[in-house]
Amino acid sequence: MNIICTPAGIIDSIRPAQGVMDITAAGFKDILLDLSMFCSPGELENLGKKQNQQNNLNKPDNPNGPDSPDNQNNPNSPDNSDNLNNQATGNKPEETTRPLVSQHPSELKNNMERLLSYYRKAGITTTIARAPYLQRDTKRQDVNTLLLDLAREGLKVCGVAGCRYMIVRPLFSGINRGEEWNVNREYYLKLADTAREHNMMILLENQCRDVNGHLTRGICSDAFEAAWWVDSLNAQAGGERFGFCMDAGTCNLCGQNMQEFITAMGSRIKAVILRDCDGTKESSMLPFTCSGFGQTNTDWLGLIRGLRSISFDGQLLLDFATTAGFFSPILRPQLLQLAKAVGEYFKWQINMEKLLKKYKSVVLFGAGNMCRNYMKCYGQDYPPLYTCDNNSKLWGTWFSGLKVKSPESLKQLPEDCVIFICNIYYREIEKQLRDMGIQNDIEFFSDEYMPSFYFDRLERSE
Amino acid sequence: MLPIGVQTKNIVEDNCPGEGFRLMRQAGFSCGDFSLNGYLLNSSLYQSEVNTFFDQSLQELEHFFAPHKKGADEAGITINQMHMPYPNYVPRAAKALNDYLRDVVAPKSMQICAFFNCPCIVIHGFKLAYFLGSEEEEWRRTEMFLDNLAPMAKDMGITMCIENLYDSLNGHLVEGPCCNARKAADRIDRMNDRYHAQVLGFCFDTGHANLTGLDFEDFITTLDYRLKVLHIHDNDGVSDLHQVPFTFTKTRENLPSTDWNGFIKGLKNIKFSKTLSFETAPVLTSFPEELKPQALSFIAGIGKYFSDSCL
Repeated sequence: MNIICTPAGIIDSIRPAQGVMDITAAGFKDILLDLSMFCSPGELENLGKKQNQQNNLNKPDNPNGPDSPDNQNNPNSPDNSDNLNNQATGNKPEETTRPLVSQHPSELKNNMERLLSYYRKAGITTTIARAPYLQRDTKRQDVNTLLLDLAREGLKVCGVAGCRYMIVRPLFSGINRGEEWNVNREYYLKLADTAREHNMMILLENQCRDVNGHLTRGICSDAFEAAWWVDSLNAQAGGERFGFCMDAGTCNLCGQNMQEFITAMGSRIKAVILRDCDGTKESSMLPFTCSGFGQTNTDWLGLIRGLRSISFDGQLLLDFATTAGFFSPILRPQLLQLAKAVGEYFKWQINMEKLLKKYKSVVLFGAGNMCRNYMKCYGQDYPPLYTCDNNSKLWGTWFSGLKVKSPESLKQLPEDCVIFICNIYYREIEKQLRDMGIQNDIEFFSDEYMPSFYFDRLERSE
Repeated sequence: MLPIGVQTKNIVEDNCPGEGFRLMRQAGFSCGDFSLNGYLLNSSLYQSEVNTFFDQSLQELEHFFAPHKKGADEAGITINQMHMPYPNYVPRAAKALNDYLRDVVAPKSMQICAFFNCPCIVIHGFKLAYFLGSEEEEWRRTEMFLDNLAPMAKDMGITMCIENLYDSLNGHLVEGPCCNARKAADRIDRMNDRYHAQVLGFCFDTGHANLTGLDFEDFITTLDYRLKVLHIHDNDGVSDLHQVPFTFTKTRENLPSTDWNGFIKGLKNIKFSKTLSFETAPVLTSFPEELKPQALSFIAGIGKYFSDSCL
């Protein structure tokens, strides 16, 4: 599983050095090649309008994510910082002389070159790219041909840059209901040859539909339909040229059961965008930062259950443009480190069963709810030898089918036996065991995202 | 014109039910969605609190509801649908409570439904995916509950209607049971084939659909003939407010943020010929009591608009 950082809110396409430096310092090795940095939804929306209405159109607008119009004037976002610097120093902003990609799609390559050279220097890979797209509430119904040209040009440039996938959102504007498939089939198949020439796969993405400001399920948000689209396109393209990118934020906005969505899409899902939002307004928050009543209001449980069920091993994209845009640039390196840790956490959770499979034998530490949950979901397939607990009253008793022993018993473990800590005081217990001189591998177990749960919690009267 | 109905909650009172039914009729309704759930509240059940209402014998219950039935008949209101108390399963409650809901409340609800000659009863599916690990397993438990009632439904000529529900993720209302129209259609067909009768149908709840971002037109069109009853109401897409359709807007253009056009198209697609029933009881407490007749008339007028648009 590959963890990818999305650049919005972090990297300024004109002056990318600091953003790239922060991202690589946090440990990311892969960045989404987001073509909306070079041809934004705002640019497309204003295409052909009078110049004074296109203020700053040829700069990569809204680094907080093109779907977040409220964030455009954020002084902390990289691009605005640059503008302020330019004003202060009197330097002429380089971007004002740049040809608009929306007017000259073939200019995409030249526009991207500066950023790509920074990526190359930093040893960054770009496994996945995203084609320019329209904002959800677009009024433009006349740019679908341009979107095709931009996607085709993007495939060429990104293929050369080493991308394996490109997210190409379905066309929706100006298309009558019932015609979505026919129009998009033609659209995608026109891109298939270019994708093949550059050895790239096109990923469709689930969409919201804007019903007068209320975001509801749009094209490809029905997993059954989306799976059929992907399969039909592949059948017509002759090979696996099309796959799917699931945007968890979009699912959240539509209140969807992510487990159901993922299970229905199966192996067609090649990439997942992880982003948080409040479920009603479009935003890209760092996962776990958008909460209600002190807990998450995004269906991470369903997401993780689903991705486990399909043994997901694809591209995991972290999109936290809104969060990054509103953090002070001073704090951005630390934020990126947290984001990387969040990405690793998802990877770890999704791979939980792979972790269990890795060891020949297992012993648990903890004889409480987490141990009980382990036994309920994994006890049969990965039976522990026993469990142990610091509570001496439990020693010699049985719990969830396991003998409870003293931690001292762990000193007798065979070398290839792993200790899974089933208690939230992970680091404290790990230190205790290391201080005892135990050399066996120690892993943390988490029951936050279990395949199923008991209806009740274990209550002990102590 | 299609029949237009409204839920009886906040209109029909036990001390003088005929008056409420007359008010409904005067406002322009010809049908009623009998709020049986008002006799065993969900807010109590979630606290594992049960009153003794359903402990009464069938004869006692029929005696209790006789004035309601008479009042509806006299006012010319047909009870076309009824709402069974819910939830039908409380996940963390004692076994005795869940047994009581299954073995006492549910069958007696069916009998009351039959007493009113009501052809449809809305039954909530279990909300258990979190515990059981999948929607499929959740449905299996709901299906067992329905199977328990299906022979009774067949004998009584009642269609049990499952409803698209939401669940709460710490305040964020998301897809709950029965939000997949394709699955619902398959499951309804399978059960009806098994019983050789229309024992199972669907209740489309517009408010819940709006909260969970469902595509109204697609959903209704997929359900097709299986759609038996409606819960029509509106909200802001965030909370389950049960307000009057066309109430909510989100943009400066002030166009409705609920997809009522999709609703109408869906009903047209399937040539819907059942009752346009509103589940808008909270409207009647938010408007002053003096305006209740006008509020009801307004709701009925929206029903007429939907009817004209669908036919």
